[in-house]
Amino acid sequence: MSAVSTAPGPIASEDRQAEQKWRRRSLVALAILLPLTLAETSYDSLREWLHGEDLIARDVDFGQSVPFGGSDWKLADLRGGKAGRLPDHAFAVIATFSVKIGDPDLQKQWLGCKLMLTDAAGRRWLPDVIAGVSLPAGVTNCTSAIFSGVKKGDTVTIGDIFIVPEDAVKTIRPAVGLGSERPWYLRFQRPPK
Amino acid sequence: MRIRILGNLVILGATVVLSYGMQVSKPHYADLTAPIPADGAMHDTIRARSFDVRLDKVVFARALKANQFGRQKLLTTSGLWAVVTTSLTATAASTTVADGTWQGPTGLRYHQTERLGYRQDMPPHGVDPGLEKRGLFVFEIPPDQIRGASLLIAARQFGPLDAQARISLDGVPTSADGRPPDVLPEYDLDAPPPQGKS
Repeated sequence: MSAVSTAPGPIASEDRQAEQKWRRRSLVALAILLPLTLAETSYDSLREWLHGEDLIARDVDFGQSVPFGGSDWKLADLRGGKAGRLPDHAFAVIATFSVKIGDPDLQKQWLGCKLMLTDAAGRRWLPDVIAGVSLPAGVTNCTSAIFSGVKKGDTVTIGDIFIVPEDAVKTIRPAVGLGSERPWYLRFQRPPK
Repeated sequence: MRIRILGNLVILGATVVLSYGMQVSKPHYADLTAPIPADGAMHDTIRARSFDVRLDKVVFARALKANQFGRQKLLTTSGLWAVVTTSLTATAASTTVADGTWQGPTGLRYHQTERLGYRQDMPPHGVDPGLEKRGLFVFEIPPDQIRGASLLIAARQFGPLDAQARISLDGVPTSADGRPPDVLPEYDLDAPPPQGKS
């Protein structure tokens, strides 16, 4: 500032030009840095959200075994019927999977493990408790399986109980979501009648 | 140079005034991200993004009888107990409906009671698509907060930008002084459903 007011001449105009150049550069830098900052700050939230949602289905044919979360998953059985204390127009459904363990660190691979049923309209049902209905012997739900201390090569049967309305029972398909694989999840074809 | 400094000062002053004005006039962040109301009346089915809710019945009582850990308890109040019966269904995926608020005519809000502790028929209600479920919400309210009140039901207590069903309670009968005409002396939460009118 003082240079400008005390020494007018070629040096001052050079200074001025340099200042203008830097101002322009700063403006351009702002246009680049601002979107970058926004992207950087939202990246973590976006990644966390993607890892928490079952968004993209990987369809699996019946009888096929698919590697998922370090193990091989296969739909073992899907059966429904009237059992226990159910609301009107509702069915009890039990879905079971036979899983061959590849990576035995289930606490890491299967974190947030979720069995679901989906229907043709895209609705989703999570496991429920029905008074008077329990899982068949030898079947555990996936949360208990995480802490069961399985070894590599073991085959475990994972299953859960669901309540599904009458209008959905014809099109339901079982699905599996795991923390280590999200946003992808497995959606299994129903066993042929 | 003088003018330049003065000009800068004016710009600075204007910025301060503008920022302050915006700060005092703009809504608070919590209001900007507040739940989005879905309005309806009693006996209507209201769609609130993740769940559908229908208000079936409101019963008032002076005392509440409940079984807690195998012991019969009688909960009294200096106001009134309002036992609200709703029918809940999930829209797209199994979810929970956990938050109920009684909003009085002047905007006073009464959150659902926590005196009952954990009970299966109390929130959070687990709901599934296509399966209607009866869900109770229990409030402790002063008797003058009934006429013109509304019921707010949301999936969780702090759900920014999530839907909140706002059900007008105009269908609840009240007498001339605003109090409900029938108040049960005692409501038994463990008795089978039909108790009281409306």
